[in-house]
Amino acid sequence: MAKILIVEDDIDLNLAYRIILERESHTIESVYNGNEALERLDSFNPDLILLDLLMPMKNGVEFLEEYNIAEAPNPAKVVVFTNLENSDEINEAFKLGAYKCIVKSWTAPQGLVKVINDTLKSRR
Amino acid sequence: MTKQDSDLVKDLRAQAAKAREESATFDALFSSLGEGLIAINEKGHVTRVNQAALDMLGYTESELLGEWYPEKVVMVNEDNSVVETIDRPVTQVFMTGKAISVSKYYRRKDGEKFPVFMTVSPILLRNKPIGAIEVFRDISDDIEADKMKTEFISIASHQLRTPLSAVNTYSLMLENGYAGELNEQQSTFLAVIIAATDRMNRLISTLLNITRIEAGNISVESSPIDLSILVRSIASEFEPQINQKLSLKTKIEDKIPEVNTDKLIVREIISNLVSNAIKYTPEGGLIEMSLYTDRKSIIFQVRDTGYGIPEGSKDQIFSKFYRASNAVKQEVSGTGLGLYMVKVLAEKVDGDTWFESQEGKGSSFYFSISKKGISGKSGAFKLENSRIKRRD
Repeated sequence: MAKILIVEDDIDLNLAYRIILERESHTIESVYNGNEALERLDSFNPDLILLDLLMPMKNGVEFLEEYNIAEAPNPAKVVVFTNLENSDEINEAFKLGAYKCIVKSWTAPQGLVKVINDTLKSRR
Repeated sequence: MTKQDSDLVKDLRAQAAKAREESATFDALFSSLGEGLIAINEKGHVTRVNQAALDMLGYTESELLGEWYPEKVVMVNEDNSVVETIDRPVTQVFMTGKAISVSKYYRRKDGEKFPVFMTVSPILLRNKPIGAIEVFRDISDDIEADKMKTEFISIASHQLRTPLSAVNTYSLMLENGYAGELNEQQSTFLAVIIAATDRMNRLISTLLNITRIEAGNISVESSPIDLSILVRSIASEFEPQINQKLSLKTKIEDKIPEVNTDKLIVREIISNLVSNAIKYTPEGGLIEMSLYTDRKSIIFQVRDTGYGIPEGSKDQIFSKFYRASNAVKQEVSGTGLGLYMVKVLAEKVDGDTWFESQEGKGSSFYFSISKKGISGKSGAFKLENSRIKRRD
């Protein structure tokens, strides 16, 4: 099973995703902003990052800029999970290498599991 | 001088004094108006200009009077390209003899552009334009306020959605057994919470869409669309919703031509019309979706055997937040935004929408678009799909 880093500032949602994905036997680390995510990357070395966009301290786009997927030696796949629809931030996230974007408020637990598993299976 | 001559002179003097006074009053009015005013003669030379116009444009009166107006007062587009004389509103006014109101940009003497809303009216003498008068105002503050309003709504919507996402996610986790099996009553209560959350989500999308459309921030795309496929797909989306309560028929003419339009917008229009028909049709009724063509257009029609629209409500049925009196009485939930959205979105794709209805018998709503299609228009946002089904 995969190692997944959840980057979501809303404590309740972060916990919900953790419960849902742990049930699928994934190993989960939870962080609450882009800075914490960058700090955790080396030690955790995730296969996939579930990334919120609007967060305090360092938002999702700023995180992706520093993470630099194009240059990273073994980058994780990034699934953006946001409530922004059709926004500049989403376009920016895709430009910076995000693999998929899903809308939080429309997505059911099975939907999240499916997107995560499909993304893990897919080639970059 | 005879008494008659003396009276005539007195009379003339009185009339001259009156004319001078009227002229002075007019001058005072002209110069004290807060909006910019420029009068132009039939050759396009500036004959009068008030202080507000001079302040906005950065010229002195002597720099403008007598000058050829299209050359001296430069009108530009948003991208700073100069509007050709033939395309200037004043030219249109001289050609048609009719007043025009438009939003454009002027370039100040120092080269900086600023947005204006202007009304140009012809000065007619015996039905022939002998000049034109232009009234304009700087709308920079209005544009800024609109931008702030749009940003505020975007942020407010996002803030509303965050707690809603938690309600939605945990409700669906309960539904999916993450906290153990629910009894029948718990499941029923949970279904109400989930349906209400869905409604709230859709409402937020609708409000966001309306704000962005009204602020002119929605982009319109143009790509070839097969409307018969689109209508079939919308019908299949609604089928589970009406299952057993109503019957749904689709009648699609053969060989509907592809049309260049915005798929997301057209989908939203048709979905809103169908959703409305379903909402206002009691159990056992019929919903019929048809797609057909006439010489110039492709027409979508949704007919229902529902409550119909009372005579007194027909004029306002496309107004924002309006709900027909019988819809309110039937306690059907609604926001009064669906048909308003349909109307404004139809305008975005150069379409038309109308209806026929008889109270107690049902309604037919129509949406037509030209076979010629549309060309796209850029904007900061795409339309949000307010009817997305949860991904499961």
